[in-house]
Amino acid sequence: MTAKGKALPRLDLPPLRQVGRPLRRVDALGKAVGTTVYAGDFTMPDMLHAKVFRSSEPSAHIKQLNVNKARALPGVACVLTADDLPDGKLITDMPGQTGQERRKESDAPVLAARGVRFVGEPIALVAAETLAIAEQALKLIEIEYEVLPGVFDPLEAIKPGAPIIHKPDNIVASWKIRKGNAEAGLAAADLIVENTFRVPFIDHAYIEPEAGVAWMDDQDVINIRVCTQVVEHFRSIAQAVGVPHNKVHVRGTMIGGGFGGKEDITVEIFLALLTKETRRPVRLAYTREESILAHSKRHPFIITHRTGVKNNGRITGAKINMISDSGAYPYLSPYVLLYATVTSCGPYRIDNLTVDSVSVATNNPFASAFRGFGGAQAAVAYEQQMDEMAKALAMDPLELRKINYLKTGDFNAIGQQIKSAIWLEEEATQALAALGKKESVSDDAIKIGQGFATTMQSYGRIMWFHDTSRSWVGIEQDGTIVVRCGAPDLGAGQANSLCLIAAEVLGVSLTDVTFYNSDSAVTPLAGTTTATRQLYMSGNATLKAAKMVREVLLDRAAQHFREKPNNLDLADNKVFIKSDPQQWLSLADLSKMCAVDGLKLQHLALFAAPFADKLNPENLQGDIFPDFTFSAHAIEVAVDTKTGEITVLKSVGCHDVGRAINPIAVEGQIQGGSAQGIGYALMEEVQVRDGVTRTPSLSEFLIPTAKDLPTTRAIILESGTGVGPFGAKGIGEPALTPAAPAVANAVANAIGVRIHNLPLTPERVLAALDRAKRG
Amino acid sequence: MLPEFELLMPRTLPEALEMMDESSKVMPLAGGTNLLVDLRGRLSRPQTLINIGGLDELRGVRVEDGYIVVGSAATIADLKRNALIAKHGQALRQAATVFANPLIRNRATIGGNLAYGSPAADAAPPLLVLGAEVELLSKDTRRTVPLEEFITGVRKTVRHPRELITAIRWPIPPEGSVGVFRKLGLRKADAISVLSIAVMLLHMDTGDCDQLRIALGAVAPTPIRAAAAEDLLDGGPLTPEVIAQAAQLASEATQAIGDIRGSAAYRKRVITALVQRLLTNLAKDTKEKKH
Ligand SMILES: Cc1cc2nc3c(=O)[nH]c(=O)nc-3n(C[C@H](O)[C@H](O)[C@H](O)COP(=O)(O)OP(=O)(O)OC[C@H]3O[C@@H](n4cnc5c(N)ncnc54)[C@H](O)[C@@H]3O)c2cc1C
Repeated sequence: MTAKGKALPRLDLPPLRQVGRPLRRVDALGKAVGTTVYAGDFTMPDMLHAKVFRSSEPSAHIKQLNVNKARALPGVACVLTADDLPDGKLITDMPGQTGQERRKESDAPVLAARGVRFVGEPIALVAAETLAIAEQALKLIEIEYEVLPGVFDPLEAIKPGAPIIHKPDNIVASWKIRKGNAEAGLAAADLIVENTFRVPFIDHAYIEPEAGVAWMDDQDVINIRVCTQVVEHFRSIAQAVGVPHNKVHVRGTMIGGGFGGKEDITVEIFLALLTKETRRPVRLAYTREESILAHSKRHPFIITHRTGVKNNGRITGAKINMISDSGAYPYLSPYVLLYATVTSCGPYRIDNLTVDSVSVATNNPFASAFRGFGGAQAAVAYEQQMDEMAKALAMDPLELRKINYLKTGDFNAIGQQIKSAIWLEEEATQALAALGKKESVSDDAIKIGQGFATTMQSYGRIMWFHDTSRSWVGIEQDGTIVVRCGAPDLGAGQANSLCLIAAEVLGVSLTDVTFYNSDSAVTPLAGTTTATRQLYMSGNATLKAAKMVREVLLDRAAQHFREKPNNLDLADNKVFIKSDPQQWLSLADLSKMCAVDGLKLQHLALFAAPFADKLNPENLQGDIFPDFTFSAHAIEVAVDTKTGEITVLKSVGCHDVGRAINPIAVEGQIQGGSAQGIGYALMEEVQVRDGVTRTPSLSEFLIPTAKDLPTTRAIILESGTGVGPFGAKGIGEPALTPAAPAVANAVANAIGVRIHNLPLTPERVLAALDRAKRG
Repeated sequence: MLPEFELLMPRTLPEALEMMDESSKVMPLAGGTNLLVDLRGRLSRPQTLINIGGLDELRGVRVEDGYIVVGSAATIADLKRNALIAKHGQALRQAATVFANPLIRNRATIGGNLAYGSPAADAAPPLLVLGAEVELLSKDTRRTVPLEEFITGVRKTVRHPRELITAIRWPIPPEGSVGVFRKLGLRKADAISVLSIAVMLLHMDTGDCDQLRIALGAVAPTPIRAAAAEDLLDGGPLTPEVIAQAAQLASEATQAIGDIRGSAAYRKRVITALVQRLLTNLAKDTKEKKH
C-alpha cells in the first residue's frame, strides 16, 4: 500500500459560472486605451541613462580597450569594463531550478574580457546624465581587435581543425534516444523515406524592446524594474554583481511580448552594476536594432529523418538526426535540443527509434528559448516527413497519420505514457472540414494547395527540474479579493486566468479581484513564464489557495446558517443556501464575521509538479514532462508559379486545450501563435553571413503584416483531461507549433514538390519548380 | 536617438526657397519617412531641416494646360483617394495603394519619393510611363526636367541643393488609355520592392496604333524605361509571340543585382514573367473592350 499524501482541501465545485465564458480580459482596457505602464515608461528623479558598447567582430582577441576618453567626457557618471566586475558571469542555465546541463566555463561573461565570440557581445557599459552624452561616450571608447578565424556553420564547427569557441570542442550538448531496434525496424520496412529539413535563425520581434530602470534603496537593495519572463533571475543577478541574493529585488512589469526572448537575462545585470557603482537610478532601453543584436534567436536546425514504413502505412522504425546552431554561448541550447529530441518523431508510435542530436557552438548570434522551444523545429521536420511518406505510399496524409497516431495510454518516443486525451484525429478532421473546398482560380499559373500538421508540445517544465509555484489569495473585509502571485504576465493573459480562477472559486466577479504579480520580493515566487507552464503551475497554486479561503468562508457561513458547508455555495458576492437561495449573506458581512473570529482569510498555497529523476543519457527513456497538448492546424495557399509568391488563403487551428479557462484568451493565443508560425514558414529569417547580421532591423527582418494573414479560425476542443486547473492543458506554445509545417505541406501540395528549407521565399519556390521540371 | 538639428518652419514657398542653401547641411523635410530614418541611422547629417511638408503651394492635384500637376508635398494617401489620379494616373494610383502602410502613406510625399533617388521608389515607374516631368524651383531659377533624366544613379538626382521639387506633371493621357502597376515584395504590405513594373497603353485616337510604355523599378541603379521592348511593341499587334519577346527584352534592359531580398537572376526572371503577364492581360482587356 502506498501512503497517501496530505489531502488537498476537497470541495465539490458546483458547475462553473465564469471559467469557460468569453469574459473581457482584466488587462484589455488598459492596453486598448494606453494606460498600461511598460518597463520603458518609467523614469526617476536624478536618473542616469545607460548604453552598452558592443563587439563589431564575431571572433577576435581584444588587444586593447581604452575607456579613459569616455570616462573623461563631461556628463559621464561611470564606464564599466570587465576589469571592474567581481567575476561577472551570466548564469545561462535554467533559472531557479535544478538543471545544470551547460558545460563549465562556457557561460557568457557579463562583459567580454579578453576576447569576443559574436557580433554584439557586450564589452563596456556607460552611464551618463543624458542619453546623448551616453551615446557620445560610446564613440570615445577605443578598442583594438586581433581578428581570429571564426566558424559560422555548425557542420563546419564539428569538423576537426575548426576554430574552438569553448574548450574542449564545439559540442554544446548532445542527446540520444535508443528505443527498440531501429536497424531491424528499417529492415522490416517496405519503403524507406529520407529527407533533410532546415529551419533558420529567427528573431522574437516582440513589440517591446528590452528596457528597465534600477535604483538602490535605503536597505542597499538593488531594485530593478524590468520587462522579464523570469523574476527569479534575481539570484543570478546578485551572483553576477557580487551581492547577497536578498539584496536584489526584481519588479517585473507587464510585458510587451517575450516569446522566450525575455527568458534569459537582458538588461538586468547591466542596470544592477551601474546603479551599484553610481548609487543613482539608471535607465537602459534598447533600440530595435540593439534588441536584434543583443537578445537570443531561435535555433536553426538541420534535421534528417530516415523512416521505414510498410505498404499498409505502419511505421516500422526511424532514425533521426538533429543538429542545432547554438551560436556563441550555450544559454538554453541543451534544453532546446532536449525538447526537440523528445518530440523528434512527433505524436506517432514508433517502437524502433534512434535519435541523435547535437547542439554546436559557432560565432553566430547566440540562440536560446523561442516559443516552441525545439518542439517547433522538430515539428517542421516530422510533419513534412509524414506528408512525404504519404506521397511515396500514394496514401492520404490523414490516413497515414491515423494508422500511426499515439493513443491515450501509449508510450511516446522516450517511453513516457501519455495519460491525457489524444484527439489528433478529431482535430485534424475538424480543421480540414473547416478549411472546406479548395478555392478555384482561372489563371493556370496560380496553384492552390491545402495542407495540415498535427503536433505534440509539452506544457510544464522538465520533471527533473522539480518545478514549483506559489500563489496567495485573500479576501478583504468588503468582500473583494486580492491575489498575489509572482507569475509575470507576458501579455498572453496569465494575470487574467489567475484572477478568473479566484473569482470562480470565491463567487465574485472578475472586476472584484486585484492582482499583484511579477515581483521577486513581495509576491510569492511562481516560477518562470515560459514552457507554457503558468496556467498549469500557478493556476493550480491559485486554485488551491482560493479553495483554502473558500473553505474558511463556508465553514463560518455554515455556523451562521446552521447548515452543512456542502449545502452552501458562493456566487454573485454572496454566500447562500443552495436549496433556498433566498437565504443569503453578503461576502462582505461574512468576511467581517470571519475577521471578528480571527479566522485565516489569506492563504499561501504551493503547487509542486510531479518530480522525476533525470533520464538515463544512454537512451533517454522515462518520464520527462507533466503532459502534452495535441494540436492540428490546416492551411490553404495560393502559389504563383511565375513569381513564386505564396498567399495564405485560409487558416484553421484546432486544439484540445483540456479546458478553456477563458475562450477569448485561448483564441487570442491561437490567432497569435498561428501568425507567428505562418511568418516562420513564409518570410522570417535573421540572415547571418560570417557572423554579421544582414537583417539588422525590421526593415530587413520581415514578420507578417495583417495583409499577409487570413483570420485564423480557432476551434477549441475541451477533453477536460489536462493536469492544469479544471482539467486545462497549455496553449501558449502549442498554438504556434503546427502552423509552420501546415503551411509547408500546403505549398508542397500546391506545387507538387517539396521545399526543404524555411522560409519558403518566392525564389525558393521557383528553384523547387525548376528542380521538379528537370526531374 | 535622433541627432540634434535646427528645424525651420517656412510659412510660404518663397520663404522656404530663401532658406535653401548651397551646402548639404541644409535639407528640405517633407514627410520625413526617409529622412528621419536616415538621421536616426546617421546616414545623413544635415544641421538644418526646412519643413516644406505643410506648404499649401506644394499640396494638391490640379489640371493645368492639358497637364495633371501634382504638388510635391501631396502625400501618397492624397494620391490614393484623388479622383484626377484615379482617372489620369491609374498606375500611380495602384502604386499608392500598395505603398508602405497606411501610417506612412499619410506622411510620405511624392516629391520625397523622387528626391530621395531610390531605385525602388514606387512612384517612379508609374510616373515614367506617364511621361512625367519634375518641376524644380530655386530662389532665382525655374526648370522642368523629364523624370527619366532626373534620377541619375542610386540616391543621385540632378537636383541642385538650392532647388526644391515643387511639382510633378504629365500630359493628360488620351481617353481610353490604361495603366497598371505591379509590385513584388517579400510580404503583402510594408515591404521594399524586390521589383516593380508599370505598363501603360496610350490610346491613340488619331487612328495610329496604341503606344505601349514599360517602366521597371529596383532592377537597375535608377528606375528605368524598357526602351527596346517598347520599340518592339510599337505599332504591332499584341500577339503572344511579340509579348514574349518584349518581356525578354524588358528583362535584358535591367541591370539587376542580388541582395538580401533576392538574387539578380530571380529579378530578371520575374521581370520577364510579370511583363508578359501584364501585357497579356492588357491585350485581353483591350480586345474585350473592342468587342
Ligand atoms: C515603413 C516604411 C515603409 C516604406 N515603404 C515604401 C514603399 O512601399 N515604397 C516606396 O517607394 N517607399 C517606401 N518608403 C520610403 C518613403 O516612405 C518614401 O520614399 C516617401 O515617398 C518619401 O517621402 P517623404 O515625404 O517622407 O520624404 P522625406 O523623408 O521628407 O525626404 C526624403 C528626401 O527627399 C528630400 N526632399 C523631400 N521633399 C523634397 C522636395 N519637395 N524637394 C527637394 N527635396 C525634397 C529630403 O530632403 C530628403 O533628402 C517607406 C518608408 C518607411 C519608413
